[in-house]
Amino acid sequence: MQPTSVATKLLGGGALLVLGVGLYVGLSVVPPDAVQGEVQRIMYLHVPAILTAYLAYFVVFCASILYLWKRNLAYDAVAVASAEIGVLFTGITLATGSIWGKSTWGVWWTWDARLTLTAILFTIYMGYLMLRAFAEDPQAAARYGAVLAILGFLDIPLNHFAVQWWRTLHQPSTLLRAGGPSIDSRMLTALLVNLAGLVLLYGYFLAERFRLERIRHRVLALRLQRGRRG
Amino acid sequence: MGKWGFIWLAYGVAGVVLVGYLVALWRRLGEISEELTALERKPGRSAS
Repeated sequence: MQPTSVATKLLGGGALLVLGVGLYVGLSVVPPDAVQGEVQRIMYLHVPAILTAYLAYFVVFCASILYLWKRNLAYDAVAVASAEIGVLFTGITLATGSIWGKSTWGVWWTWDARLTLTAILFTIYMGYLMLRAFAEDPQAAARYGAVLAILGFLDIPLNHFAVQWWRTLHQPSTLLRAGGPSIDSRMLTALLVNLAGLVLLYGYFLAERFRLERIRHRVLALRLQRGRRG
Repeated sequence: MGKWGFIWLAYGVAGVVLVGYLVALWRRLGEISEELTALERKPGRSAS
């Protein structure tokens, strides 16, 4: 087996370093929000987590299109790896959002458009992973998975614009909005540092999870080869 | 729960999830690598 590459180790080390700085800045340097007070500091984790999840699903979307076009299982390995990490970050978004919601709205959950669409996004890609886990034919699993991943990606623009199109309890976008970010520059810096840290962590997870998937393909091929011989 | 209690809960949950995933990923990598090594050492025979 190929050991973890130096580039991957650097990604992991860089993620740790940047996240350490980001946590310090977000939790103790940046002043509290004028309206919400200290609890708004959850934003420095919640918003970067969902943006990293969007990035992960965008990679799944691109890799799935490439797989359907080229029929190369390496693209499918990228898609599966990235989908798993996307689900991880969406789960963190839902959990931290729920905790933030309880402290500001007084409820752990409400069927608001943004929250519901994020839960649907989580469910779509959980379904994708289950489809991949239980399908017996790798090529068929990759093909059906790619179609589901491409269709599932349509939920992301819907989710992003939900706070503009409908009256929601969730606040409007502060970062990705027309006219630029609407927050204080110190808060924006903390947000971007944490986003950089989570993106680096995503890169590390993706490299390791992709390596796992490639080894799994090799194991399946060897088992098949042995089975034919035996 | 105080405001900082919610903050530590959110960061704590995220930390546990991320570290848990990392440990599980390394474990899965170790297991599948062992299986691959076993298969490659026994040419022509099924490892299962």
